[in-house]
Amino acid sequence: MRNIIKAEGLVKTYGSDAGKRRVLDGVSFELGAGEFVAVMGPSGSGKTTLLFALSGMDRPDGGRVAFEGRELSKLGERELADLRRTRMGFVFQQPSMLKHLNVLDNVILAALRDRRSEAAELSAKALALMEKAGIADLAGRDIAKVSGGQLQRAGICRALMNDPVVVFGDEPTGALNSAAAAEVLGMLEAVHAGGTAIALVTHDARVAARAGRVVFMRDGAIAAEESLGPFVRDELEPRVAAVTARMRELGI
Amino acid sequence: MYYRIVKDDVMKSKGVTLATLLFIVAAAAMAASGASLAAQLFGAVDALMEAARTPHFMQMHAGPLDRGPLERFARENPLVEDYFAGEFLNINGARFVIGGESLAGSVQDNGLWTQRAGFDLLLGLDGEPLRPAPGELYAPLAYLRSGAAALGDEATVAGRRFKVAGFVRDSQMNSPQASSKRFLVSEEDFEALREVGAVEYLISFRLKDPAALPAFEAAYAEAGLPANGPTLSAPLFRMINAVSDGFTAALLMLAGAVAVGVALLCVRFTLLAKIEEDYREIGVMKAIGLRVSDIKKIYLAKYAFMAALGAAVGWAAAAALRAPLLSGLRQAMGEGAGARLGPAFAALGAAAVGAAVIAYVNAALGRFKRLSPADALRFGAPAGRAARGLGLPRLSRSRLLGANVLLAVKGFLADFKLYAVMIAVIAAAGFIAVVPARLYATISSPGFSAYMGVGECDLRLDVQQADDIPGKAATIAAALAADPSVGSSAVLVAKALWTVDQSGARVRLKTELGDHAAFPVLYAAGGPPTGADQIALSAMNAAELGKAVGEVLIVDDGSGPRGLTVSGVYGDLTNGGKTAKAAFDAPLAEAMWAVAYAELVEPAGAEAAAARYAAAYPWAKASDIAEFVRQTFSATIASVRTAAYASAALALLVAALISYLFMRMIRAKDRREDAIRWAIGFTASDLSIQYALRAALALLGGVILGVAAAEILGEAIAGAAIRTFGAAAFRFQGGSAIAYLGMPLGIAAASFAAALFGGRDPSLRASVAGGVETPYLELLKE
Repeated sequence: MRNIIKAEGLVKTYGSDAGKRRVLDGVSFELGAGEFVAVMGPSGSGKTTLLFALSGMDRPDGGRVAFEGRELSKLGERELADLRRTRMGFVFQQPSMLKHLNVLDNVILAALRDRRSEAAELSAKALALMEKAGIADLAGRDIAKVSGGQLQRAGICRALMNDPVVVFGDEPTGALNSAAAAEVLGMLEAVHAGGTAIALVTHDARVAARAGRVVFMRDGAIAAEESLGPFVRDELEPRVAAVTARMRELGI
Repeated sequence: MYYRIVKDDVMKSKGVTLATLLFIVAAAAMAASGASLAAQLFGAVDALMEAARTPHFMQMHAGPLDRGPLERFARENPLVEDYFAGEFLNINGARFVIGGESLAGSVQDNGLWTQRAGFDLLLGLDGEPLRPAPGELYAPLAYLRSGAAALGDEATVAGRRFKVAGFVRDSQMNSPQASSKRFLVSEEDFEALREVGAVEYLISFRLKDPAALPAFEAAYAEAGLPANGPTLSAPLFRMINAVSDGFTAALLMLAGAVAVGVALLCVRFTLLAKIEEDYREIGVMKAIGLRVSDIKKIYLAKYAFMAALGAAVGWAAAAALRAPLLSGLRQAMGEGAGARLGPAFAALGAAAVGAAVIAYVNAALGRFKRLSPADALRFGAPAGRAARGLGLPRLSRSRLLGANVLLAVKGFLADFKLYAVMIAVIAAAGFIAVVPARLYATISSPGFSAYMGVGECDLRLDVQQADDIPGKAATIAAALAADPSVGSSAVLVAKALWTVDQSGARVRLKTELGDHAAFPVLYAAGGPPTGADQIALSAMNAAELGKAVGEVLIVDDGSGPRGLTVSGVYGDLTNGGKTAKAAFDAPLAEAMWAVAYAELVEPAGAEAAAARYAAAYPWAKASDIAEFVRQTFSATIASVRTAAYASAALALLVAALISYLFMRMIRAKDRREDAIRWAIGFTASDLSIQYALRAALALLGGVILGVAAAEILGEAIAGAAIRTFGAAAFRFQGGSAIAYLGMPLGIAAASFAAALFGGRDPSLRASVAGGVETPYLELLKE
């Protein structure tokens, strides 16, 4: 399997000299094309920081990240933004939408940055994605009048607009009720089934159990990894049990 | 507790707090200075007129004087307290030589005066009446100001040697707007020079009750007493004395009002952004049971502190500026009763500014009442807010505009209430830059004399104090008509007509007869008289006679009373401000003076032409009109110029500073949205472009609004200021390119640069360059 991301010896320190805290302490990580990896760990273990470092949103103090073979530390702000826009997709814990745009405009926003003349084509593509997500009827709706689960699904549609090679998710179901969370997970599974790699940070074993591989973090380092193999819906409960057992074993 | 809250808040937002404070200080300083100048001015004018025992009524009279009837009238009229017919020895300016320079170019009627009466006193700069010794010459203060004379200068008047022993505070003729200037000499010197000049009588009366002036004027006119010259009265003296400094006071007050406005706007957006930031906390405070008044106190504490500090510093600054601001006034008028009131008025002005800020903040905090704790805790923002700006333009329907432009437009529309503040500030800046610039351009333009009752022309010839005025006027008319260098000309002969005022008294109407369409003055209403049945009145006469355009005035020109329709009302500051204009001839009426206007083929030759006519017709006073206007209005023009430069500088500063602070505020407020945009692939420069576009939209709106307001409101405001000194109508003219292009462009450029600077996001740059923790990432983790 070809690697999309290869990170080695990542170090990230927060705080001043007096109270320095190593949030990432020599983390190495790889993500293969089309792979689905979940990153688990207690609060403050460095999960989100790892995700930001892998996506080039944050620069580690030490170590290196290669994305599709390009060293991120050597890229400028513009090139990093281009990568985020064209090769990566993001789904955040809170539905992160711009409040004065309607749902459809939010979905096509980033894609429109480079293709200003293709608003119609982009809208059609967005509507098709939203149709699959079951939210096509919300296209013209004010985001304040849409539920959190629906917004999160719209966020996934936005992440897919430029056909990314990887979608990063930072607790995408963290703020949702179980029914809405199930819908969002279903969508992510479908995205993965379409060949897009997914790197997901989560607290939730039932979410992590859908990944092919689970990385456990503790105190800024990778404590363990669990390979679960391709996800089959019937095997959900045993996989959840395996993840939970491993967490207990690690004291997470 | 409040001290700690204020301190924390100030430390967190030093720049914004400082800028707001500066505006409060500036507003307080200007309000205080304006109030103190006004108090001082009106106090001082009164004090000067009291010390000099200025006449309540003065009739200038040229020609022989029969004192008998005058003395009888003064004795018998119960209104008269004191009477004196003084001699003003009018001497050609060329015969005055001071410090080696002659006054030949002076447009003033220069003459000698002696201190013989117990009133109408000329005072020294110490405020005491002067008693010149032989050989001593006391010069008008205006010549000290213009540099034409200095203490100790050698001087000659018609060859007789003098030494400039001091300067004169003249309660009637201090102001450059007064057309005569009195030099004070000893009686011995006066008599020695008597034959050199022409005596003009200043017939002065002090009244027992100044309020009885209208009745007295009517009685004087009715008595058929000498009146060959302008009639002047105490209100006009008071006005003429107050003009230049009154104008500065008015401008200061105006600028102060604008600065208060800017300070309040500044407070407004600081407060709005702060409330936005603290929305959740305010919700928590309400939820745990704090009263709205308790919460208001916390926010009010900071502004109450700033308002008090700002007002105090502003007052202190005004106190420091008092000396230079008032020095000219002191020199001209001395300390008046208002001098003691000055500091109190200043304190009042500064306190009013502070109170306005506190009242405004208190009112703005009223929105806490409407704040729902539930919404605040759930959304951290008022529910339903997101709907704003949701309408057009839609990104999904756009064909032409890119994402950056669309996001900028939508952001601008969504937060329009906030951008409205910036628009208002830029508009205010545009206003305060454009109005004084326009005012300056207008009053320094050649046509400005028309506002003052002098037709726009190149050359003006006055025939006064002469025999056979109509004959001399005809001579001049013929000379002008035959002169190839004269393009067009008109000769007006002023004659004494009679009318009846509102009280029924018969009053003299000094009416200029001739063609008034050729060199028109500015009409506040209506236009020049054209037919034999029309008459135009000066603003003062129209008010006194109670006549408006279209009404009929009964006038007697010696051939019996007849009704004339008022064709127009114009501003006039010449000949006492009470004149009329008509187009017919009144052969039976007594001629008072004549004036000729000429437009030259080559306007640049005005000075030479004036010299030529002065030599050819020594009984006429020939003035190059540009020089006439320059000398007459130079003090006013200079103070307006200073005000224009100062307000342009202030406007640039305000616009730039506010734009900078505003964009910083907006970016702080929108940080979470910026984080989202950035995370999904917009570059830092994309975001900067979006904010720059928003700023440009606001700037464009502000500049257009400011210029429009300057055109519509500014003319009215400047007109009101100008009307206080005798002009009846006012219209901006001249200087449009600088005022309407230069000023707005300057403001737009300065603001845009400042907005770009304020709209940068330093934290993002740092994060990308150095791996520092960025606020964006924190926001995205939430």
